[in-house]
Amino acid sequence: MLHRLLILVAIITAIGGYCTLARVKPHAKTDFQLQKIAADGVPIPIWSGPWSCVLDRRHGLLWEVKTDAEFLHDGDWTYSWFDGQHGVENAGDCFFEPQRCDTQDLIRRVNEAGLCGRNDWRLPTPNELMTLVDSRVPPGYTQIDKNFFPHTRSGDYWSSANGLPLAGVFEHLKEGAAAVNFGDGRQKTLPFRNAAFLRLVTEVEESRSTASLPLNDGE
Amino acid sequence: MSHSESKVDGRWKLSVFSWLHLAAITLLLFSLFSGLRIAVLSFPFLGFLSPILPQGQVHTLHFVSGSLLSAIAVCSLAYYFFCREKQRPLRGRLARYHRAVLWIGCLGLLLSLATGGVLFFAILEAAVLVRVHFFLALAGLGFIFLHGVFYLVQYGVAAMRRILPRAQFSGLPVIKSAAVVGLCLVLLVLAYGSTSSRLDVKSIPIEDIVNVDGEADEAVWQGAIPVTVDTFFGANFEDGGSQVQIKALQNGSDVYMHIRWQDPTESRLHLPLEKTAEGWKVVYEGFENFNETKYYEDKFALLLSNSCSLGGAGTSHLGPKPLGDKPANFHGKGYHYSSDESIHDLWHWKAVRTNEMRLADDNHIGPPYAERPGSRRYTAGYMQDGKESGSYVMNWRWFKTAGVVPKRLPQQAPQTMPAASTQMLGTWFDLSVYNETADTLPVGSVIPSVLYRSNRFEGDRADVRAAGIWRDGYWSLELARTLDTGSPLDVAIRDGVCLWVAAFDHAQVGHTRHSRPIKLKLEES
Repeated sequence: MLHRLLILVAIITAIGGYCTLARVKPHAKTDFQLQKIAADGVPIPIWSGPWSCVLDRRHGLLWEVKTDAEFLHDGDWTYSWFDGQHGVENAGDCFFEPQRCDTQDLIRRVNEAGLCGRNDWRLPTPNELMTLVDSRVPPGYTQIDKNFFPHTRSGDYWSSANGLPLAGVFEHLKEGAAAVNFGDGRQKTLPFRNAAFLRLVTEVEESRSTASLPLNDGE
Repeated sequence: MSHSESKVDGRWKLSVFSWLHLAAITLLLFSLFSGLRIAVLSFPFLGFLSPILPQGQVHTLHFVSGSLLSAIAVCSLAYYFFCREKQRPLRGRLARYHRAVLWIGCLGLLLSLATGGVLFFAILEAAVLVRVHFFLALAGLGFIFLHGVFYLVQYGVAAMRRILPRAQFSGLPVIKSAAVVGLCLVLLVLAYGSTSSRLDVKSIPIEDIVNVDGEADEAVWQGAIPVTVDTFFGANFEDGGSQVQIKALQNGSDVYMHIRWQDPTESRLHLPLEKTAEGWKVVYEGFENFNETKYYEDKFALLLSNSCSLGGAGTSHLGPKPLGDKPANFHGKGYHYSSDESIHDLWHWKAVRTNEMRLADDNHIGPPYAERPGSRRYTAGYMQDGKESGSYVMNWRWFKTAGVVPKRLPQQAPQTMPAASTQMLGTWFDLSVYNETADTLPVGSVIPSVLYRSNRFEGDRADVRAAGIWRDGYWSLELARTLDTGSPLDVAIRDGVCLWVAAFDHAQVGHTRHSRPIKLKLEES
């Protein structure tokens, strides 16, 4: 009987040990293609924040992140398309310029500020913008991963492609620029004068985009 | 009876006992372990057992094993009184101990089954009974040790040999065994045959106006037949329970519901921000694990489904990781999702975040969505419906346990923690952008965490109008929605749709629950 009692104690101890060691806890992924970057350019853990840029390792791109802070990066600000020579100046709405806003204004101000340690921010190409479209979201959701790109609107975001012919009701305006709509995930051509949203991008050299970055669990 | 017939009959009786005993052991283990998984929701101290408890749709497992165990208990009683051979008295050491444990254990088991049945059929008030059922289950766990394990320790493999059934499948035994199994099935079917109560949705003329203000003082409500549901196992409620009364009207275009539930405390102090010597901090207790149980608003949820399956239309999947290929949850309670492609409607009223919008948050439960590595909280199939614009905003740039940076500051704020019933709600444009150097509020100031921006929800998420008022220990909530919104994320209101309700007493996820669905029956217009 004693040896059976010892076996019982051993079984109970084993079950207790298993219960202690086998507890399941969520953990952050360490191999995801998107990486949060703080305003000073330092990578931060995937569940930490706040962050100012997102590095897309797969495409070698560093993206501006929008906020609701009512300053330079506010996600509600809109811009007309203007590159200094072509387009329409100051037909969008923001608070950080004495006049109204265009794409050139945001590029200039963000480069002056050195967001995430970079001063080569530019408009994304249509293809670059399309890499952000995430069509797996439920109906009515903005088609982007908002865990990395908060404050993205279900509206049009400017790209660099311009001089494109306009059609339909805008035909009389002749030319416009390409935009990607994050409500339906489609590319379209808009008149330069349109007030659309804007997210800037810059490229990251391959060695940096594939470098091992800290991805510890955060808060 | 000849000697050989008597011998066969004796073997049959022995065989029946063995089968009944084996079935009882098996079903008791299924019932206990699935029940303990359900109990973890309300008794966190059981969480240490989590790794050995089943995960997933354990409600169904619990109800089925409980029903079958009840049938086995009935059969065992029949066997004991009518078929049993003259019992040989237990002999050997500790015989009196075993006899006492056996009798007490069987009595406890019968009481446990009886309380389970009463809970299932909602015969008596559930809040206290569910605790009695739980403690009887714990006693059942003790019984397994004091009876079964003790026998094994005392007699070893010989004890197993004595209780294992022997193969005797010819003639009479097979027929009689089949009768036993048949009885079990009949009991199971009977148990399942009455698994929903009915809510009559009274028809009213479309000209009759129902003001969605929480008062339900229009004359049309007088004619609505109420259904009362005892909900239990909720955090913070007295004994974990809240009695919920539901009335419903429809005018051919819209459905109106009036819900009244017990909640002794009005809670509107939602995760307030307090200024400390180290800076601003969110005041919370459990929020870091998405399981706030103190500084949270009261809430109420209605689940509407074309399915009437147990466990909230089969959407309740308990455990820390019920989906093998999806992330675990922090609180260990489980997830809501549908196992097929079906969509279940969820109306989620929140005393602070949606009540001033005069809305409930129109959500849904669908198949588990893809994992989002950037999100610390995975919610499986539970999601908000899409919206075109509008929302509430949390007043911190990023939640950290060590401290937060607010987005907006009021010019003045209370210097001490307000009462739980104080509405802590700010409006974005009435408050100023936070600036550390301009923050002159003294240490001890308390500001709201929930801010309304310029507009309320618009679009699919705004389909459910709602308004609630708290008075004398009860919330009174009115809800209204188009009978059929046409949205793929909503369930159209029609005959046969099943409803579940859940009350939250300043708890983020610890809601009350009930077993059987309420089936809607629409009166002809």
